[in-house]
Amino acid sequence: MKIEIANWFKNSNRKQLVFEVEDELRFHIEMLERKYAQEGMSAAAAKAAALRRFGSLERAMKQCVNIRNRNSRLRRVLKTSLIIIGLLGLSIRMLGSDLNVHHIGDILIMIAIAGRLLLYVRGLSPSNFLSGTNETCPSIVTEAPQDRSKLRGA
Amino acid sequence: MANDRTDLMQGTLELLILNTLARESMHGYGIVQRIQEKAEDLLKVEDGSLYPALYRMEERGWIKSEWGISENNRRAKFYELTKAGQKQLEAERANWKRISKAVTKILQAT
Repeated sequence: MKIEIANWFKNSNRKQLVFEVEDELRFHIEMLERKYAQEGMSAAAAKAAALRRFGSLERAMKQCVNIRNRNSRLRRVLKTSLIIIGLLGLSIRMLGSDLNVHHIGDILIMIAIAGRLLLYVRGLSPSNFLSGTNETCPSIVTEAPQDRSKLRGA
Repeated sequence: MANDRTDLMQGTLELLILNTLARESMHGYGIVQRIQEKAEDLLKVEDGSLYPALYRMEERGWIKSEWGISENNRRAKFYELTKAGQKQLEAERANWKRISKAVTKILQAT
């Protein structure tokens, strides 16, 4: 029952997040469409030009959702808890005099490391490794000054 | 037509966004338009790549967002700079000046 409730919350949160991201990105595309239509393009041409200019909507959405998910409240709580467990283990390891107490410290440190690795691996998705989806190095197009009149006319 | 697709140096788009938001809060579309207007169309930010950058910056606490109503009465998300973002902007500006000075020196020397 608890798991079902947790899954329901997770799914509804995710749906809400996807909806909000999509709404935001669609607003951008609509504004581009409006701009192109005001420049004299037909509705269909303006829509096509807006989508071309925006790039892959799906890819942008996926990246935004992934970024937001990795910073979810549950994740932050888990990360903090793991740090606390790790530090606790380290303190027990350093301060404990008995060998058995040392073992408890070792186990806590191992739990913290394993948990952190698990969180890291769960945060990975194939898109992280595909070319063209690099978040940290987005592309720009530079235009030579003599081509600016052409650019404005486009 | 000399139309070169160039990879931005890491952090450059963030610097442009921070600088744009330093004046007023804006939605994503407004940010791209402002950057292009200021760059006199010499730079074209890929519109779709702006949003992951915005989300990442929000995650780092440099900007914060709030839903509002746009100029055409549609729901839109507006971004504004935080105090941490202001500090980051100052640091990024100084870093950019340092790098550009160094590269210019190297180019002039050869």
